[in-house]
Amino acid sequence: MSRKGMIVFAVLMLGVALVTTACPKKKAKQADDMEIESTPVEVDTEEVTTASTPTTAEDEKPEGLPEDLPALNEEIRQQGLIGDIFFDYDEYSLRAEARDRLAKNAEFMSEHPELLFTIEGHCDERGTNEYNLALGDRRANAAKDYLVSLGVDGDRLRTVSYGEERPFCEQDNESCYQLNRRAHFVVTGRADMG
Amino acid sequence: MIRLRPPTPLFSLFLGILLLAPSLGSQEVPPREPAAQEEGDDVTLVIEEGQTARIRLAFPEPEIRGDLSPEAREARRELESALRSDLQSTGIFQIQGPEALSVVEPTGDRGRDFEQYRSLGNEAVLLAEIYQEGSDRIVLEGRVYDLASGQSILGKRYRGSFDLARRIAHTFTDEIVLYFTGRRGIALTSIAFVSDRSGEKEIYLMDYDGRNVRPITGHQSISMAPDWSPSGNAVAYVSYYGGFPGIYLVNLETGEKEPVITEGSLNSAPDFSGDGSHLVFSRSLAGNTEIFSVARDGSDLRRLTRSPGIDTNPSWSPSGRQIAFTSSRAGNPHIYVMDAEGTNLQRITFEGTYNDGAAWSPDGSKIAYATRRRGRQFDIAVTDLALMETKVLTRRMAGSQESPTWSPDGRRIAFASAVGGRTQIRVVPAEGGESELLTADGNNMAPDWSGHPN
Repeated sequence: MSRKGMIVFAVLMLGVALVTTACPKKKAKQADDMEIESTPVEVDTEEVTTASTPTTAEDEKPEGLPEDLPALNEEIRQQGLIGDIFFDYDEYSLRAEARDRLAKNAEFMSEHPELLFTIEGHCDERGTNEYNLALGDRRANAAKDYLVSLGVDGDRLRTVSYGEERPFCEQDNESCYQLNRRAHFVVTGRADMG
Repeated sequence: MIRLRPPTPLFSLFLGILLLAPSLGSQEVPPREPAAQEEGDDVTLVIEEGQTARIRLAFPEPEIRGDLSPEAREARRELESALRSDLQSTGIFQIQGPEALSVVEPTGDRGRDFEQYRSLGNEAVLLAEIYQEGSDRIVLEGRVYDLASGQSILGKRYRGSFDLARRIAHTFTDEIVLYFTGRRGIALTSIAFVSDRSGEKEIYLMDYDGRNVRPITGHQSISMAPDWSPSGNAVAYVSYYGGFPGIYLVNLETGEKEPVITEGSLNSAPDFSGDGSHLVFSRSLAGNTEIFSVARDGSDLRRLTRSPGIDTNPSWSPSGRQIAFTSSRAGNPHIYVMDAEGTNLQRITFEGTYNDGAAWSPDGSKIAYATRRRGRQFDIAVTDLALMETKVLTRRMAGSQESPTWSPDGRRIAFASAVGGRTQIRVVPAEGGESELLTADGNNMAPDWSGHPN
């Protein structure tokens, strides 16, 4: 969306000369014959001006995954070699079935030491944004810690929390919330094996 | 609480009117209030919630001088409409507009006209004149008169291009508020916020009334958690464009972005210190978020909390001496306050099952935050730190409210309101009352109110 021409305003006090008002000193009779006086108001003229708004077009953008990785991720996911794990509400402890899933993930990771992974922590929308970021961070790290305990090299695993920012399901019901409380595994690079 | 301090001797007359307003017959001339004048700067008037001790201001239709081009007519319309809504939203006036004043028959004699305004119960009148200058500029001359004495008490002339018509109204409004209350108005302040209107979450600015929206980031990633620098020339924010949430600054004059801290997997929730030299924020240490502070150039990184629970969303007190934050160290998320060095921890909230998003009032006496007390909805609550008394502001509102931020005069709180899967920014009087919608395009959240412009 282009908002060129949008402007940040700055008020510059330029006209400092006092200008007498257009209403001259005058006297008027009120109904009760009380004399009232409306004295001239000294009027400062303020020049209200603008400064141009900086463009946002040049802002750095995210780098996508290397070309072949989206297809690779799709493939290992479809074959069930890597799968996501799910959490209870406001929890980051691993359920029994999550441990089973992580054991399979660890197997694939150990068989492919050339692959680097990012573990994304996700939350449902019911908490606050900032607290969910912290909670998603805990979920991703709980998954990472367990994988490391199974022998996966921790240097190949990065964690990132998305909190409630990247929901997998956007409906307002418990089955949807459950889908959003997860750790999601993505191949995000290849190790320099040299 | 509104503190009214007379900036000029004439003001004491208005203070007198204000003090007497509830019992004032509409046509009585209030006597001078000698006590108020003697008390001088120490006069404090507390307006309780629901009390309408407002200055009764007549604001007839502005006089148009000369011919206006079509563009100038549009600018005039914008200017008048902004001036009326600005004055209305100050909360210090009870305004009679052209409709209520239609019974006034202009006599060409200011004194007689004033008597007519006064007989309708008004205490002051705002007379505005608007005219075009050259091909592209509009001028407002505004004068306020005390109807009891007939004396003019404030006069201003503003000149600017047509697109600044609202800006001119805001500038004049703040001048009027300063005159009547001794404190700056907020009509020239801005709110930074997050919007997904472009498809991705970016940081935007808008005027205090929700108008003049403009983006300040274009990362096409997730950008969030904006926080104004105290001087108003930069906004700190969080962005994922580097792959992980890091803290950046946008220079509002040049548009340049610079990183503050991006190392690590999670840096979030930045909040400037009052002197603008440091930021406090939350940072993950292998799955445990703790509160840290850092200089705005990324140096001087200090860890302030040590607890196994989640510690996040810190907010520096206006004095700089304390930091409020959210912690789950006692189980559920609650608001705590510690000294800026991380010592002297004090728990602030005990009610509700989930509290987050602490925001200090500008005078440092209160903290606003989101609290969960009914089902899974959040409400905005304000806790008075001296009395340790809490008031829930949004109890009767639909949906879930979070991310409160105070206007720099402490009289309003903006927040994000999620209703039916859509999130918009609303503003409510800090004492409670009806809320107003500020945004409509896309989802809009995480408001942060600027300070007064320099």
